[in-house]
Amino acid sequence: MTGGPEASAASGSRAVWLLTHLRLQRLANQMTLVYSRRVGARRGRTATAAKKRNRWVVSAIVVFFMLFLYGNIARQGMVNLHRALDHPIGASPFAMPSGDLSEAMTRGLAMEWSLLFVVAILGALATRELSQPDWDLEWLVTLPLRMPLLMWSRLMERTIANPIGLLTLLPAGTLTAWTSGYRWTAPLVAAVAIIPLLLLAALFRTLIDTGLRMSLAPSKLRNLQAVLSVLSILVLYLVISIGLPQPLTFVMNWARHFPAWGCWLPPGLVVKTMNSTDVSTGVQFALLLILEVGIAVWIGLTVLSFQLRNGVVAAGSRETGRSAVPVRVSETHHPRPVFLLGTVVQRRELRLLGRDRSFLVQTLVLPVIIVFSQIVFQGRLHSSTVAGISNATIASIAFAIAAYTLMMSAFQTLNSEGGALWLLFTVPRSLESVLREKARLWAVLALAYPLIVFIVAVIVKRHADIELVGFAAIVLLGVPIYAAIAVALGVFGCDPLAQEVRTKLRPTYVYLYMMLAGLYTYAIFASEWWQKIVVIVLSGLLSVALWQKARDELPYLLDPAASPPARVSTSDGIIAAMLFFVVQGITLAIFMAVTHHIAGNAIVTGYSIAGATTFALFRLVYWRSKTVGIPRIFGPGTLKAIGWGIGAGLVAASAGAAYLFALRRLDLLQDVMRESARELSANIWIPLLAVVAAPIFEEFIFRGLIFGGLRRSFDALPAIVASAAVFAIVHPPASMIPVFGLGVCAALAFDRTKMLLAPMIAHGIYNAVVLALQTRM
Amino acid sequence: MIDFLELSKSYGTFRALAPLTLTVPRGEMFGFLGPNGAGKTTTIRMMMSILVPSGGTVRIAGLDCHRDAAEVKRHVGYLPDSPIFYDYLRGREILQFIGEMHGLARTEASLRTERLMSELGLDQVGEEFAVNYSMGMKKKLGLACALIHEPSVLILDEPTNGLDPRASRDVQLRLRKSADQGTTIFLSTHILDMAERLCSRIGIIHHGELVATGSPQELKENVTSGGTLEEVFLAVTAEAENT
Repeated sequence: MTGGPEASAASGSRAVWLLTHLRLQRLANQMTLVYSRRVGARRGRTATAAKKRNRWVVSAIVVFFMLFLYGNIARQGMVNLHRALDHPIGASPFAMPSGDLSEAMTRGLAMEWSLLFVVAILGALATRELSQPDWDLEWLVTLPLRMPLLMWSRLMERTIANPIGLLTLLPAGTLTAWTSGYRWTAPLVAAVAIIPLLLLAALFRTLIDTGLRMSLAPSKLRNLQAVLSVLSILVLYLVISIGLPQPLTFVMNWARHFPAWGCWLPPGLVVKTMNSTDVSTGVQFALLLILEVGIAVWIGLTVLSFQLRNGVVAAGSRETGRSAVPVRVSETHHPRPVFLLGTVVQRRELRLLGRDRSFLVQTLVLPVIIVFSQIVFQGRLHSSTVAGISNATIASIAFAIAAYTLMMSAFQTLNSEGGALWLLFTVPRSLESVLREKARLWAVLALAYPLIVFIVAVIVKRHADIELVGFAAIVLLGVPIYAAIAVALGVFGCDPLAQEVRTKLRPTYVYLYMMLAGLYTYAIFASEWWQKIVVIVLSGLLSVALWQKARDELPYLLDPAASPPARVSTSDGIIAAMLFFVVQGITLAIFMAVTHHIAGNAIVTGYSIAGATTFALFRLVYWRSKTVGIPRIFGPGTLKAIGWGIGAGLVAASAGAAYLFALRRLDLLQDVMRESARELSANIWIPLLAVVAAPIFEEFIFRGLIFGGLRRSFDALPAIVASAAVFAIVHPPASMIPVFGLGVCAALAFDRTKMLLAPMIAHGIYNAVVLALQTRM
Repeated sequence: MIDFLELSKSYGTFRALAPLTLTVPRGEMFGFLGPNGAGKTTTIRMMMSILVPSGGTVRIAGLDCHRDAAEVKRHVGYLPDSPIFYDYLRGREILQFIGEMHGLARTEASLRTERLMSELGLDQVGEEFAVNYSMGMKKKLGLACALIHEPSVLILDEPTNGLDPRASRDVQLRLRKSADQGTTIFLSTHILDMAERLCSRIGIIHHGELVATGSPQELKENVTSGGTLEEVFLAVTAEAENT
């Protein structure tokens, strides 16, 4: 063979450095990818985005914040252990131990470090890397490196690039070093002291994942990864519990009874080394630590070479996964007709859920663990007080578990399709109908939790009062609403085609969903019934609005360049109503600041400014975005619109008058009526506002945008009822019923004439009649 | 059967497909040829409503592929260039699912699944998770998904890409059978031999523009005065590059 000189292999240290660098580079890319996605940015055609500067700033802030958070927990843990194990007399409850630690304290810290060490191993194992179909060792062995050197390189890179290990061990190490008197050199001392533990964690991780890869198929690996992720969270919670203001009793008991021999294992030896009073003792402990870790590494590498004695072949290759005897179904053998629950899509989703333990744990187990851990850590749940928990707390727990479940499942309906999403583009079904079926399925599954919580509550409390039943109704109503919200937000918050697991979700939308779910708890905790109704109706409307936006987006889901044309939608109506009320509030606040009281003309002016601003702004936005379906006031058939307006106005006004007379006859709300009549007779501006300004601006928002938006997705009747309900709930409780009637009449008039003139006239007539009656009564 | 009317697509300032007007009549096997990045997949994805046209329309069986996206799929079977399938579903289950999504009764979907798996040589691996299939098996499973509802139009993106010679021949025979039964086939490829063997008409696209159409024989005679299809391809793509 001729040619140039052959390339020589990299030296041992160079190989270690290259592999470590590769791992760190990958970690850095993953972190920056998570934070660098612009909100709402659409995917470009190019495979990789252009480099963006200053990405590291966000990552650095997050890392700093996490270190601070863990540091604070570690500090509080040290304080708690000191208080529980040393019983300092007369010391402040926030006192830290200092100098030479007591025997009890050393054992306590050794226990905490042992738990941290387990988290460092489990956390690293629980990453998705274990369940990825590709095993990097399979191509690393093709590099010109001898196996022992390759294994050493792997240990080194996993020692250095172990972010979970660093995050858990470094803050605790720094605190221990600080307490032992190292002060400002403590972080450096800790960084050196934890290296043996990180090396050991890397060894365990490598042994476990290599062994598992060699013997388990990818599907089983994913299931195992799910179990490991739950285990790592549980152990992490145990460690965190030591650093809570009220630590868990049983964990503190572990610390109290940690065996003395445990202090001679590597985690305990790290504590002892850092806390030695003199150099010679410190060196002895350090040498013992190095010896133990050295022996462990030697044994570990021997086991590794035994594991890899037949080469590096993962058990997950296709050949081994193939079933030995293929199942054959002959043409004459028809599957027996069985009763099947749900639709084709729902059955497939359930089948995937049953097989993918990772998905199962994430959707149905983690929410329960998260919510109950929070409750336990906040000290809200103790066996003696279970029966004494308020109904509102029970309802909020029930809703929280359901909301978390929906976030893990319904929110990710598109992500669960993943790269196979194309299949849904090949069938004669709209993507919306598929998502709707999935939303229903997840709503039903998520409803199981609130039901269980309420049943348990009734069993424990031994009775079900009307308040609990009311709360149960609110929660059970909220779950399907939030299933729809989760699926709709998921359309914007998921990237089913993203290659990296971490970039599949856009965190902004996850936070938005959590914030909206949090708002719903106001329906539980609000004191007035009408406030609860307002929250429920608004949440329902929000789900419709978001669903509509998502539906518009769906045909453009996989298109990197196109976006849906601008159309008037329900969400525009919600935004317009909010803008209207905010501007009105600001204007009135300015009047109040200047004149120190609010006169009738101020109300009219504030109302008019808010209405005119909202109207003008929306028209401008619609004009700029070439929006279609903008509601118009006039048009062909004006006479018909006037006729409909007068007719609808008279019907609504008659209903309003009947309502007023009924109130008077039944002697209900008479104080409120008299107060309103006094205000009306004292102020000429209010009639002007009610008969002229209100119809113009409110009709644009409630009929033009909200009803118009709803009408795009619904038949006339549900759209009329829903828009009238929203219109009613933004009015004072005393007038909700007749205003609902006005909403129905006005929406009907608009639907028949397609001109805002009709509902405006109806609204004006209604307000004029009701005001006139109120002042006379 | 397939009507392109001024169909175009741009990604920002990048023009992926210049206005394309073309008709593929019922029963024709049309080969859509072009170099990498010419706009073949973009065109096909617009036919499947995966991408939204920047201008113009494409109609299949008289239905607008964008506006009547769901209805069009009753008539169309589609195979992408690299099909990806669900984790944790076996090949047979995926095919059954697609059959039922097309509105077939469970028993009927099951029968057709068995028939297609056997016909495409997938019966031995039907109980395996499709995610573990080789590229060739995935292509065959994708083709089975495209055929299960017996569509009148097949849209295939690089159907034999990544297949071994035997698998490639099997797929070509299956396509020939479908064509003989009257199915309209629109396939993109850059395997010129296959296009010449199978297609009654060929269109060559370059930089988003249709630069030549005709039967293989016509193209060879008109463009290169009796050369090979490869020479035709090189000539029209080079010509377009120079202009």
